[in-house]
Amino acid sequence: MSEQHSNEHMEPEAEQEERQTFWQKAKGAINDYIYGMAAHEMTRQALKTRGSMEHLFILITMGDLLGVPILPPYYSLRLLPYVVPQISTWKRRMLREKDLTDALA
Amino acid sequence: MSLIVLLAAIVLVVLGYRFYALKIDREIMQSDPKRATPATMYQDGVDFMPASASVLFGYQFKSIAALGPIVGPITALQFGWAPALAWIIIGVLFFGWVQDYSSALLAMRNDGMTMGGLSYKLISPRARTLLLSFLYIYLLLIMGAFGAILGPVLGANKVPFGFLMIVVAGVLAGQMTYRWKVDLLWTTVITVAIALVGAWVGTIPAIGGDTGIVNSINHLAGDAEGVLYATPYGDMLWSTFLWVLVMMAFCYLGSVMPIWRFAQPVNYTSFWFVAISVVLSILGITIATFTGSVNTSFQVPAFVTLYRDNLGPIWPILFVTIACGAVSGWHSLVSTSGTARQLEKETDVLPVGGGAMFTEGVLAVLALIMGVTLIAKADGTLIYDATKDYQLVYGAAGVFAGGMSRFMAVVGVPADLGLAVGSVFLTVMGVTIMQLVIRFMRIASAELLGDRIPAFKNPHFGSVVAIALTLFLVYAGYWQWLWVLFGGSNQLFASLALLLVTIWLAGQSKRYIWVGIPAAFMYVTTIAALLWTAWLALDKAFIHRAEGMTTPFIIGNVISIIFALYMAISAVFLLVDGVKAFNQARSSATAPAAGD
Repeated sequence: MSEQHSNEHMEPEAEQEERQTFWQKAKGAINDYIYGMAAHEMTRQALKTRGSMEHLFILITMGDLLGVPILPPYYSLRLLPYVVPQISTWKRRMLREKDLTDALA
Repeated sequence: MSLIVLLAAIVLVVLGYRFYALKIDREIMQSDPKRATPATMYQDGVDFMPASASVLFGYQFKSIAALGPIVGPITALQFGWAPALAWIIIGVLFFGWVQDYSSALLAMRNDGMTMGGLSYKLISPRARTLLLSFLYIYLLLIMGAFGAILGPVLGANKVPFGFLMIVVAGVLAGQMTYRWKVDLLWTTVITVAIALVGAWVGTIPAIGGDTGIVNSINHLAGDAEGVLYATPYGDMLWSTFLWVLVMMAFCYLGSVMPIWRFAQPVNYTSFWFVAISVVLSILGITIATFTGSVNTSFQVPAFVTLYRDNLGPIWPILFVTIACGAVSGWHSLVSTSGTARQLEKETDVLPVGGGAMFTEGVLAVLALIMGVTLIAKADGTLIYDATKDYQLVYGAAGVFAGGMSRFMAVVGVPADLGLAVGSVFLTVMGVTIMQLVIRFMRIASAELLGDRIPAFKNPHFGSVVAIALTLFLVYAGYWQWLWVLFGGSNQLFASLALLLVTIWLAGQSKRYIWVGIPAAFMYVTTIAALLWTAWLALDKAFIHRAEGMTTPFIIGNVISIIFALYMAISAVFLLVDGVKAFNQARSSATAPAAGD
């Protein structure tokens, strides 16, 4: 039932996409291309900086989850509900093996 | 003739994409739009972030296109335009896109690992260590070659003010965007206007004239007293060294300052400056071809010689001289560390990785056209000397700037301003990569030497060491040899990336011959080029030394020999480990390899 429901929502989008003329698609692609050359790296760096700060904050507050207790558990537990959505990606990033050549990104 | 060659190159590239690249993507690599990519699987908002194919195409192209596809073809024209053009086309069709595309896909199918991790996993721990030391020298050679080429360009009277104004405009763009929260459109309009007006102000007599401020600075720097030292290929000027110092100050700021404060906004403003120049030049070429207002016929012969005294034999030297225009190891670094972690679908790898390389091939052809149609400047200064078998006697970057100026003049840009814009264009194309390289060299030295020498953990110390090494290389090196060494290390890196893909494909029981042959060819060619350059440096410095050669020239040659031999020897060790890994991968493959 839910699949059918989501299909109903998808159809107008697909139709809308089909209805786009060649020129509209080309214009969209050129816009993306210019954005990619001019500003994508800037946007990405800003997001990376924010993401790194957030992960650093989670490390300080939730270090226990990785075996690095920094903050007393009382405060960690109080903050836990706010951090729950990010725990899996944060843990993966913290524990992933990194290489020097990653720094080129 | 120019437009015909450009159109023919575009047609060949499109055919190569349609009938070769697409076939490999579908039949051998079997890219699947439904297979999860690292960007979607590991999305963390930091290292892994999905983006659309069109955005990433622009990102990839901007990251890979620097001075390589411009300087390489212009330098290689000394062998004649036909062999240079042939290698650009063949290189792009059978080597270049193969490396960019396959290294991105390799990283994607290995959880987004980058070159260091991949060499550790697929070859050996020693391979990773060798690769990293090799990488440091490669980056140093990028710095040396770019610095030596751009020094004279930036030192020309009409150029420095425009460059400095771009830097000011860039810093202002960062301040407006991140601190004052001004709308990006207004930020762009204001800062790009400052950059363009700056380029124009740089040409007015009081600043860029023969008695202007820049000329006085050059005289004060030492040009009035003569040259810094002489080489058999031209004099090293005091002013050149001064402006290289200015570039290094720029790189230092780019390395130690927060990336949002300096490097990124300067890159952003530079992009618009470069884009406007390119659009005007292409418009000029098109109009000039139809109106005949500028000579677009080829002035260098199709074929000049098989051997050049200043460079060496056509094989292997031509192949490494063209560098990024045909195939480049830098691209595999960008593909694995940047692009592979952002691709949303596997089917996007070909248009992004392969497509950007095909486009860069067209840029290389455009640079070749700029060079081949301009044998002497308007004031009679020779660029290619016909009496010396068309030896390039003028800086390759200056040739491109001169070509741009001629074509921009067709659309009404004054010649002086066109030359200044073209020169600033090249300078920013180079220094925006150089600041990234210094930043990485600083991180690499901290990682590799930080435990033994704690001072390297200090970002200022690491940056200063990298800059000092660069300055020494620029001071003592001859730019055409530095370029060949850079091209050699660059393409050796490409062959190692291709070797990694070959080993991986063998282990996956997939056909690997389309990667293996380019890997073997590039490996043999680049080792030969490095050994030849070492021999040439030995010959000029010790065996047949010309009279009056000074100590810096001899030291520069000794450094060239050491670098060339180190890279050749480390590449042999890498190959030994690579062949072992390849045999192991083949024997452990689940089904017989189709590439046999």
